[in-house]
Formats: sequence, C-alpha cells, structure tokens
Amino acid sequence: MAQSQALRWIQLLLKCTIFLSMTGAAVSSRLFSVIRFESIIHEFDPWFNFRATKYLVNHGFYKFLNWFDDRTWYPLGRVTGGTLYPGLMATSAAVWHGLRKIGLPVDIRNVCVMFAPAFSGVTAWATYHLTCEIKDSGAGLLAAAFIAIAPGYISRSVAGSYDNEAIAITLLMVTFMFWIKAMKTGSIMHSTLAAVFYFYMVSAWGGYVFITNLIPLHVFILILMGRYSTRLYSAYTTWYAIGTMASMQIPFVGFLPIRSNDHMAALGVFGLTQIVALGSFIKSQVSWAKFKTVMVVSIAFLLAVGVFGLFALTYFGYIAPWTGRFYSLWDTNYAKIHIPIIASVSEHQPTAWPAFFFDTQFLIWLFPAGVFLLFLELKDEHVFIIAYSVLCSYFAGVMVRLMLTLTPIICVCSAVTISKLFDVYADFSSKATDATVASPISQKTRIMTLVTKLTVCGTFLGYLYLFVYHCTWVTSNAYSSPSVVLPSRNQDGSPALIDDFREAYYWLRMNTADDAKVASWWDYGYQIGGMADRTTLVDNNTWNNTHIAIVGKAMSSPEEKAYEILKEHDVDYVLVIFGGLIGFSGDDINKFLWMVRISEGIWPDEIKEREYFTSSGEYRMDEAAPQTMKDSLMYKLSYYRFPSLFNGVEGTDRVRGQRIRQQDVGELDYFEEVFTSENWIVRLYQLKEQDPLGRDLHSAGEFARSSARGFKKRIAKKPSVDVRV
Amino acid sequence: MLGLLIALVQLIAFTQAKSSSGSRSLVIFDQRLIYLDDYSVFLGSLKERSFELDYAPVTNDSTPVELFDGEARRYDNLIVFPIKSRHFNKQLSAEKLLNFYNEGGEIMAITTPDGVADNVRVFLNQLGIFPSPKNYQLRDYFQDNSELVLHLPASKVLNEHVVPKNDGEIVYQGSAALLGDSDLIIPVLQAPRTSYSEDGQKQGGKWTIGSQGYLAASFQTLKNTRLSWVGSVDLFSDKNSDSNKHFVQELTKWTFKEKSVVEVVCSNHAHSNGLDYSDVPYKIKDEVVYNISLREWEGEKWVPFVADDIQFELRMVDPYYRITLTPIGDSSFTFQTYTTSKFNLPDHHGIFTFVVDYKRSGLSFFTDKDVKAIRHLANDEYPRSWVITNSWVYLTAIYSVIFTWVIFVALFVGVKKSANVPIEKKTN
Repeated sequence: MAQSQALRWIQLLLKCTIFLSMTGAAVSSRLFSVIRFESIIHEFDPWFNFRATKYLVNHGFYKFLNWFDDRTWYPLGRVTGGTLYPGLMATSAAVWHGLRKIGLPVDIRNVCVMFAPAFSGVTAWATYHLTCEIKDSGAGLLAAAFIAIAPGYISRSVAGSYDNEAIAITLLMVTFMFWIKAMKTGSIMHSTLAAVFYFYMVSAWGGYVFITNLIPLHVFILILMGRYSTRLYSAYTTWYAIGTMASMQIPFVGFLPIRSNDHMAALGVFGLTQIVALGSFIKSQVSWAKFKTVMVVSIAFLLAVGVFGLFALTYFGYIAPWTGRFYSLWDTNYAKIHIPIIASVSEHQPTAWPAFFFDTQFLIWLFPAGVFLLFLELKDEHVFIIAYSVLCSYFAGVMVRLMLTLTPIICVCSAVTISKLFDVYADFSSKATDATVASPISQKTRIMTLVTKLTVCGTFLGYLYLFVYHCTWVTSNAYSSPSVVLPSRNQDGSPALIDDFREAYYWLRMNTADDAKVASWWDYGYQIGGMADRTTLVDNNTWNNTHIAIVGKAMSSPEEKAYEILKEHDVDYVLVIFGGLIGFSGDDINKFLWMVRISEGIWPDEIKEREYFTSSGEYRMDEAAPQTMKDSLMYKLSYYRFPSLFNGVEGTDRVRGQRIRQQDVGELDYFEEVFTSENWIVRLYQLKEQDPLGRDLHSAGEFARSSARGFKKRIAKKPSVDVRV
Repeated sequence: MLGLLIALVQLIAFTQAKSSSGSRSLVIFDQRLIYLDDYSVFLGSLKERSFELDYAPVTNDSTPVELFDGEARRYDNLIVFPIKSRHFNKQLSAEKLLNFYNEGGEIMAITTPDGVADNVRVFLNQLGIFPSPKNYQLRDYFQDNSELVLHLPASKVLNEHVVPKNDGEIVYQGSAALLGDSDLIIPVLQAPRTSYSEDGQKQGGKWTIGSQGYLAASFQTLKNTRLSWVGSVDLFSDKNSDSNKHFVQELTKWTFKEKSVVEVVCSNHAHSNGLDYSDVPYKIKDEVVYNISLREWEGEKWVPFVADDIQFELRMVDPYYRITLTPIGDSSFTFQTYTTSKFNLPDHHGIFTFVVDYKRSGLSFFTDKDVKAIRHLANDEYPRSWVITNSWVYLTAIYSVIFTWVIFVALFVGVKKSANVPIEKKTN
C-alpha cells in the first residue's frame, strides 16, 4: 500500500514535470517570431483584434459592446460591438486587468502578443484529458506533446498571431473534453461545463458551428447504432438547452441558433432525443410487435413533417438558407462562380497535398491507423473521435484554414496509435516474468522478441525525434514571419528586413489629417486602421460586398472615372501595394483580377473581366497588355514613375518578369504621388483637388505640360462651343 | 464669446479697404495703345475706393512683370488693358497669369480688336472665354450712328449680382467672345441679335453671330477668385463715362470683391435640447437642429445675407434629407441666422455629412461641411420587454413555467413520502 502510494506520488511528480516541460516547449517554440523579428502583432485580422482590445481596455465593456466604429467602412461605419466575437478581446482584457491587480502592469500589446502561446499550454492540458477519456494517460501525454508542437496548430498560434483561432482551438478541445466526460457519465455538471465552454467558444470564433454540428452528429450516430441511453439524453439535452440559450447572448449570434440552417441539425437532434426518449419509455411499457408498428409509422411521419417543415420555413424566409461559405465547403468551385469575395481569400483555397505532411509530419500516416484502432473498440466516445476525424479530413481538404481544426484530432489519433504500439512493444517487464514461467520459449525466440521490440521502439523514437526536429524547423522558418515585416537577404547573404509597410503606415499617421480617408484593397484595411489610425473604406471584415466592389471598380476603371467614384466617397488617399521592384508577389497587381471579378459581379455592364486579358487570354503588363488594363487605375498607380528607375523607357517588373513601357504608363492627372516606401512596396497617392477653374483635371494637366514644354505660337481657332443654356 | 469674435472680425474688416480681399493693384497697359489720362474717371474711382494702383507699362524691352514675391502674391488685383506688344508674352506668360489667378488674385481683363495679347487669350481660353482674335470687330448695322458703336440698354444686363439693372444705356465698341458651357462663367452682357463679329480685313469667317456673342463676361473659380473680361476699352474711357459709369463701377466692384461676397459666420448643429455632439454623440432618430449664420459684404460693411433658397443636406453619399433653411432671429445684426428647425435623424447609422453647399452664379460660393457619425442604438436603449405589449404573452409563458416548476418541485419533494409507499407495495 505504502509502495503504491509512493508510486502514485512519483507518477504525479513525473506528470507535472512532463506537463511543465511540454508547456515550456509549446510556448518557447512559438517565440521564434519574437526572437527573429520583434514583439509585434502579425498579419491582418490580428490588427483589428488588437485595436478592438485597446478600445475595450480604454473604454470599458459597455462601450465596447455598443461600439460604433466610424473609422472603418466609410461612410457606412461598422456596428463593431455587434459584429465581432468578443471572447478573445474580453479574455485578454481580463488578463490585463488581472495582471494589474497583482501589481504587474503589462503593456496591452505584450498581453496580446503572448496570448496565443500562453493558451497553447491550456490546449495541451485539454487534449491530455480528452485523450485520457479515449484511451489512457499514456496516450494522453503523447497527444498533449503532439498538439504542443504540431505545426498545423502553431501556424495560427505563434506569438503575435493574435487571432480568434488562438483561443478557439483551446476552447474547442476543452468543450469536447467535457462533452466526452458528460456523455460517458451522464453527469449534468460536466455537460453544463461543456455548455459553458461552448458559450465561451461561441463568443470567440465563428467556427463554433463545427461544435454545434459535431456533437449532434455524434448523438445522432449513437442513436442510429442503438446506443441510446439516459446518460446520453441528460448530457445532450442539458448541453443543448444551456449552450443554445447562452450562445444567443452574443450579439453577433443573436437569433441564429433558431433561424439559421447551420444550427438546425442541433435543434433537430434535440427533438429526436425527446422522441427517442419517449419511444424507449413506450418500449418498456408495450410489447415489441406493437412498438415496431408505432415506431415505423411515427418515424415516417416525423421525418416527413420535419423535412417538409424545414423546406417550407426556409422557403418563406423564416430560416436563413445556408451561407455561401457553407456551400463552398461542398462544392469547391461554388465560391469562384458565385461569391468571388470568398474565393479571393487564399485561406479559402483547397489544400495542397504536401501541406498535410508539412503541418503534421509523421502524424499524418499514424492518424488513419489510430482511427482504425478506435474502430476495433468502438466505444461511444470512439464514435465521436471517428466522426470528428472523417468530417475534418474532408473539410481540411477543401479549405486550407481548416487544417487547423484537423490538427488536434490527428494528434489524438496518432497518440492512440503510438501508445498502443508502445503498450505492446515497449513492455519489457512481461519479459522477466515470462522467462521463469514459460519454459517452452527458447532463448533464441526471446532474443528475437527483444530485438524486435527494441527495433520498433527505436524506430519510433527516431520518428519522434525527427518529428520534433521537423516541427521546430517549420515553426522557425515558415510560420514565424509577421508578414508585416518581410525577411530578406542582402547581397552578401546577411539577413535583412523589409519594413515598407510600417514605414508607409507611419508616414500616413504622421503626415495626413486625422480624418483622412484612405482607399485601398480590403486586405490592408485592418492594418491601416491599426497602424496608421486612419479611416478606411473597406477592410478585412468583408461584410459588405457592394462596398468592396466600389473600391474594386475604382481600381479597375480609368483614372477620371475612378476619381469620380473615390471623390464621391470623400477619399483623400489611395494606397496600393506594388512588389514589382523587390519581387514581392503578394501585391495588388496579382490580386487585381479579384477586384475586377468582384466589381463585375455588381456592374457586369461596366467592368468585364475579359477585357483585362490579352486576346490570347494572357494576363500581361507589358506592351501586349490590353488597353483597358493599361488605362486602369491599378496599372497606373502601380507603375507610375516605375520605368524612370531603369532607363526611363522600360522597367522590368520582377514579379511578372515583364517589361513595362513608359508610354503605357503615361501621366497621372487626377492623382498625385505623395509617398513611396523604400522598396516601392507601398505607394500612396493623394487625390488632387478639383481644378478651381472647373476644367477636368486631365485637360488642366495637358495645359500645364504643354506650357512646360515651352511657349509655342498659338493660332486662334474658333472653338466648337456647346450652346449655353 | 461668439459675438465678441464677430465684432472683432468686423473691426478688422472696417479698417481694411473696401474690397474684402485686398487693395494692392497692378495696372498693365500698352503705351502704344493706351493713354492713361483717357481713363482718369475709371482709375480715379478705383483710387477713391482706396485701391493702391501700381502701373506697369509694357514696352519693347522684355523685363518680366513680377506678380509674385517668392511664393506670396505681390498684388491682389490685376487690371490688364489691351496690349498689342508681342513682347508681353515673354514678360508675363499665360501660365503665370493662370497661377496668379489660381492663387487668389482678381483679374480684370480688357481686350480690343487691336489689343488681344496671346497670353491673355490663352489664359481666358482655359476658363472657357474665347475672345475674338485680332482684328475681329463687332458690328451691328441696325445701330443709329455707326455700325461699330453699339448702344445697349443697361436693363439687358444678365446677372443682377454682378451689375444691377438700371435704365441707362451702355456704349460699347469692340469685340465679342464665345463662351464655353462652364457653370463658373457668368455672362454679363450679351451681343444684340443683329450683331456679328468679323475680321476687319474680311479674311476669316465670322467669330460670333447674333446673341451667340458676349460683350462682357465674369468668372468665379471654385475658390471664389473673380475675373471679368470686357471686349471693349472704350467702355471705360472718359468720353463714355456718363453712360457707362454705373456699369463699369459695378463690374469692378464685383470683380475686386467689393460686393456680392457671402460668408459663413458660424454654423452649428446640436440636439434639439441644446446639448451638442461633444456632449452626447448622435444616435439614430435623435432630434437635432442645424443653424448657419451668413453675412454679405456690400462694400462698406457686413450686412445680413438674405435668401430663401439656401438648402441644408444630410448626406451619406446620397442626401437623406434636403431641407430649405428658414431665417430666425431679427436681422438687425450684421448677419442672418438660418435654421432647419428640429428634424429627426434618419433611422440609419453611418457617417453623415451635415452640409450647406450654396453655389449661385454671381454670389461667392460657400460650402459648410461637418462630418459626424450617427451611431446605432445601444443594447439597453431599445424598449424593454415589458413595455412592448406583444411580449406579454411570452413573459407570461416564461413566468408561468417557472412558477409551475417551483410548485412541481415543492410537491415532488413534499408529497413524495406519503404517496410512495403504497405504489411500491403494489408493484411488488
């Protein structure tokens, strides 16, 4: 007894040490970005989250909840408080306040930067408990170790990646952990906890719909398998009732849980469990034959009523139809045809096959083995893991960003596989006992067994070592770039940083009026708002397709038309990203076709995608480019003065590898270049004032140029003048 | 405080010249064409109105006429008499003229059939005024004495704000111009229907025919810089001053901003209860009021600007409201205040522009703009559930369920013991 007590203490100590080191590994590998670059908020969306967090910290929760942001989506503004998931900001604000309470006043930026690494430790803990429920604590520890360093998860949770996913994956795992516990025991407390964490998840990420559908799916499959029990009933109904009521408290979600098709499955299963509960009660009261007829009739009736009702309610508009993002999950071409704005996001593209290996390394081939092993046992909780695996494997294949939700389950399943493997092959203890009792096993066999076991264990230890090596390499090389600052190399090979974005945003902040309006493609909206603190027309919260199309139309129109559109929206500055000089391929010219497509969707008569291609269907910028392309504002703003960097006649675009001719670029009459960053990545133009004399700016420019060329004898010719009315 | 400010502004205005913009003036003339003593009445009246006149005779040497001192304008006003000299183009290019005008210098340009300098012509062409070229003369064979001297009734003046109508007549001899269709051009005097302008040597075709031609035209830029062009120098000469004095005086007064200058004194918008935006930001459907005070310079002092066609707009790309302003308060002040009266903001959140954009030909333009956000209702500003009668059904449902549940639990806990025993026995 005392011995086992001591053993337990040692186990606990070991577990704690393992957990501590795992958290250490999880956090430290996410700090590459801070070490390589600096403590900075990454990419695009995190800038908005950061700005919102600052607003929350400065103005308090009430003002945050009712925040009307007049600095984005000019002139519409954004009801920001009602259109965001406040979980992330609320959590970091709470952390910030908590730290201040205990005498640690930390800058809110550092809280935000360190947020994701800190929560990755919690994710590891939740994954451990989840896997414990699936198999045992050995598998749990492995799964926790995997999730701590798997690149698929790190890609969204490095320091500075202050995005909703940073907290959402943690909450996803905690919710699932509590759900499995509740489902196994029928405990109301656990299912209430699952509901509470579900609420937290709803408040943090739009991906909560995944939970909303996965748990009912699990319950539905169990019912179909004839595994209905009162435990399942109490777990599900408690979770659904509390979770749904709670989730409706988030302003952005509101009545969606009862009005949107995405949530209907959960409601349907809720109804089904009631019927099944009633059925099982009747079953216990009447004979089997009678019950059978009752069941068949009622199921047919209910199915008909349910399906018909769903269609009818959707048709009459009481239930919102499936959203475009949902359709694009099933038909990868759907978005490209119907909603270019969704397809234009690189995250929404189908995943390339190497990405699976890149993000999970050897776990990817252990994953199916794990699913197979779970099939062998097929307990109730295993059904959940299997359903999760199958669904997410599909989704991850359709959209790159859903790799993120697949990674945790890959870690769990692979951990099950490896732990099973180690259960068998790393069990050297049975060797000793076997040797004394079972004599028939020869010495040779024993040695062979030992060698086999050692080989298998050694191989897998090797794999594990490679895995850690791979994860570290991927994290440090691929996922740590803030994409605000770009890494590069000098000519002598020494590392250099391209800091054009911040240079330009800082210029905007210091040199323009506080209420200046900046038009740019929506990708840069959040950054302009966060770093330059200027009003933008459109940003990464792509809620209004038409407004985005307006900017797209301006960019694809000729100068004078663009000027009119932009002036109508009080725009002062236009910002374009141009990578042609340095070879930065993510620039606006490469995104330009999306601008054309999106605006064509709204104004098919004025903007035609076909006109931006050469007659042979090529996308070209050199002399072969079609006139519509050469006239477009995007072309002009990108290449203005570009050939002058070379010989003044032709410049070479290093992204497209094409030669840009000065005569194609021409002059700018309606816009004035005010700033171009060091490597020409960010170019800023100001809209010229209207000509005070009422001429159009083109003829004013022509006049100024002709007089700059020197005085010529002007012959007085009778003008053709319109009739004055 | 505001009153004090206005008084101060007025004080400054009084100490200045009569022009509301400035009095430093330059007269450019060609000594071969113009003998200044012939225009003593015109120039004398300018001096009388406290203009400081500098003279720049154009000679055959090409010393440039400097209108600028570094970046700053040297003169506020420019009077260009007809100029024949070819050197003038080099002395003062059309671009310099344009620049001077763009920078806010007022210009009075006079051309005649024998004095149309290229630079002045090119400059005027940019505005949309096309004076007839050299040697083109305006003729009208229906005139009494000579086909070249036209007697026009002064009541035919086209814009009241520039030159008020009177009963006299205007004696005119010179050229005509074609006008473009720019809204900024203010036609002042139109050629008679029976007139035409033609090259004196009968070489070219006709430049203007009938009322197509204009004899005097004004122009006001979007920045309220003014210019007038007259196609006759005789109009200004002493010999015709008896009949033309009124016209010349009014035209120069307008051109040099001595009249028809309208200004926004102040404007504000606020909640109808007096709190303004900085106290309580606007939300949808708030009742607000917009006021604007306007005054007009009439040569000696600021007077209230009176009009009944001033409109206020509340815009978000498109106007959501367009309200004609009504005057309030007594107009014994030096300004007149106009109001929209109380109106409710639209039921639409967004960033709205409160704007009065008044552009009338002949008066100076003014635009008063203020961009303000109108927010949505906060979560606790909607009517509460118990206020809405429709919700009573649901409230009743909620509370009856709660009540029934409590009763049920009470019964379940309380009644359990006595009822339990016999049932157990029966099943056994």
